[in-house]
Amino acid sequence: MLHFRTVKLGTKSLLLHPMRSLLTVLGIFIGVASVIWLLAIGEGISQEAQRQIEDLGAENIIIRSIKPPDESGGNIRQVNAFGVTRNECSLIGDTISTVDRVLPIRELPQKFAYTGNANAKPIDGRLVGCTAEYADVTRLVIERGHFLTSREVALSRPVCVIAARLAEKLFPSEDPLSKQIYLPEKKEYFRIVGVLKHRNATAAIGGSLAAQDFSLDIYIPITTMRVRMTDQETKRTGGSFSTQVFELSQITVQVRSADDVPRTAELVEATLRQNNPGRQDISVVVPFELLEQAKTTRLMFMMFMGLIAAISLIVGGIGIMNIMLATVTERTREIGIRRALGGKQKDIVLQFLVETITLSVVGGITGILMGLFCPIVVDISRWGLEYFAPQLYASLPEVARVMRPTIVPISIPVAFGISVIVGVFFGLYPAVRAAQLDPIEALRHE
Amino acid sequence: MNAKPTRMAAVIRDLQKHYVLKSETVRALRGVSFDVPEGDYVAIMGPSGSGKSTLLNLLGCLDQPTHGSFLLGDEDVAQMTDDQLSTIRASRIGFVFQSYNLIAQLSVVENIEVPLYYMGNLTAQSRLRSIELASMVGLGERLDHRPAQLSGGQQQRVAIARSLVNDPYFILADEATGNLDSVTTEEILALFQRLNDEGKTIIMVTHEDEVAQHAKRVIRLRDGEIQFDKPVVDRKVFTAEQIQEIAHNADVASRSAD
Repeated sequence: MLHFRTVKLGTKSLLLHPMRSLLTVLGIFIGVASVIWLLAIGEGISQEAQRQIEDLGAENIIIRSIKPPDESGGNIRQVNAFGVTRNECSLIGDTISTVDRVLPIRELPQKFAYTGNANAKPIDGRLVGCTAEYADVTRLVIERGHFLTSREVALSRPVCVIAARLAEKLFPSEDPLSKQIYLPEKKEYFRIVGVLKHRNATAAIGGSLAAQDFSLDIYIPITTMRVRMTDQETKRTGGSFSTQVFELSQITVQVRSADDVPRTAELVEATLRQNNPGRQDISVVVPFELLEQAKTTRLMFMMFMGLIAAISLIVGGIGIMNIMLATVTERTREIGIRRALGGKQKDIVLQFLVETITLSVVGGITGILMGLFCPIVVDISRWGLEYFAPQLYASLPEVARVMRPTIVPISIPVAFGISVIVGVFFGLYPAVRAAQLDPIEALRHE
Repeated sequence: MNAKPTRMAAVIRDLQKHYVLKSETVRALRGVSFDVPEGDYVAIMGPSGSGKSTLLNLLGCLDQPTHGSFLLGDEDVAQMTDDQLSTIRASRIGFVFQSYNLIAQLSVVENIEVPLYYMGNLTAQSRLRSIELASMVGLGERLDHRPAQLSGGQQQRVAIARSLVNDPYFILADEATGNLDSVTTEEILALFQRLNDEGKTIIMVTHEDEVAQHAKRVIRLRDGEIQFDKPVVDRKVFTAEQIQEIAHNADVASRSAD
């Protein structure tokens, strides 16, 4: 009853200046909404990053070949091979007991054309030599047809599986299955046996900064690649030739269980570096570790976001304090009357605290409601951007386009709690100042 | 008229109040003693600087004396903490101010209830009593009005109703008619007399002899001391008919003002 009356009175007092109260509430509203928004977006981004890493496979170890910097300066007569070798690949598979499977992979940037469409310009993509297990380990999903089979790999058949986007580009109006793909640089033909489903890029690994994009890949048996293209790769760029020799671009090692990953990774490193500890042409990437790192990064990110949001809340709180100080001065007389009629200091403190808390709680609740709209607003603004400024939208990083803001449940009570705390904290000083006014002075105040 | 003339509403003994201002000490009250029996109607007078306001603040328990004692009932106010003073103000003193001092956000009946609110005595019954008091001062039909919607005389009547709500030892009126015209002044003085006739103790501070003539007793202060303390000769008393007539006129005036 008493408290209800106090709250009612506080509300009435606030409604005496609706505009002022509204603006004060706005400060907290923005603060709380931004806490929820920033956390939701931060969570969305880090979940996306985590998903990308998980797509690499938490139980995988990835060994990438790294092309050493060109020291010879255009001398093409003597070219040293770099990177991991087929021997090393089978060595890892045969000697380390925790290893389940090893996948040799060789990648080449290539141009692709469809033989049935002679006018079309060849499309840049990536030719990937791999084995039948590749689809399973890297979680590629077939939409139509089938992935490379062990038989096709064993027999070095000229067949390929193409990624969805490449399929759309090469075959805008035809069924790609059983069609021939032509590689003008290699003068080779491959028959399409399967088409993959769409897939988002995964996290960056190894030396490359860019996320791995599977959307323009063509997969052929690695045996076929070796037979038809050898290990030597010569490119002509602007009149000069550059040659590189490498057996494999990557080995993906699948470990029996995720728990064995750190130990196995050490063994793999040791095996690869046993003859040359300072070896620069390989890098071992452990997605499991990346995942752990990502979790730490995520925490840092959230803290950072939270900090920014907290600053906006503090600014809102200072706004409240400012207004309440003005209110106290304005209502000095009322304070005097209340004191004369028997209000204790703590009654006055309570009265003003109730007002600030009312302001901050109203701001908090509306801020939470606004915060809950975050995913919808993000979707709408994406849609709007795509509709009105497609180029700008296309230039956005992948994460910004794909990321789904995820409301962190804890952020709601936290945001609410903080808004109440801000109300109490920033309301306390004006309230105590009001209570400490001398009643006689306050009564005389005009 | 006075049922228990021996009981004291307030006993003041050698009350002194000194203010320390920078280097000098201002002795606003230099030892004031008097008794206020229940049912008394005292006018405290004096020129400005005589210690009138200081005495009023002490009587209203808004301040504490430097020396001396002030007994309210059997409690010595001089020894109380700030919280205890607040409790006393809420429960034992009825303030009526010159500028009414109603709270703008509250309705008539809520304003009357404020002392009860601070005593923690708000109940359905207390609401009825507040309404009763509002009717007694002629504002029974304006319970939901805000102070800004009332005339000065009406606001002062609300203030008087508020001063009565906690059944105080005395009503402390500080220039209660100072802001009012002569007609409304008469209206308020008639109300005071009616309350005094019903046994309420009234202490009023005024500088108008005209107003003081309505009291039973005048205490005149000068330079922080009592110059004289004597009963009013030729006291102006409203007859019962006058009181009724004034109340009726006020009622008619306020109705026509709507």
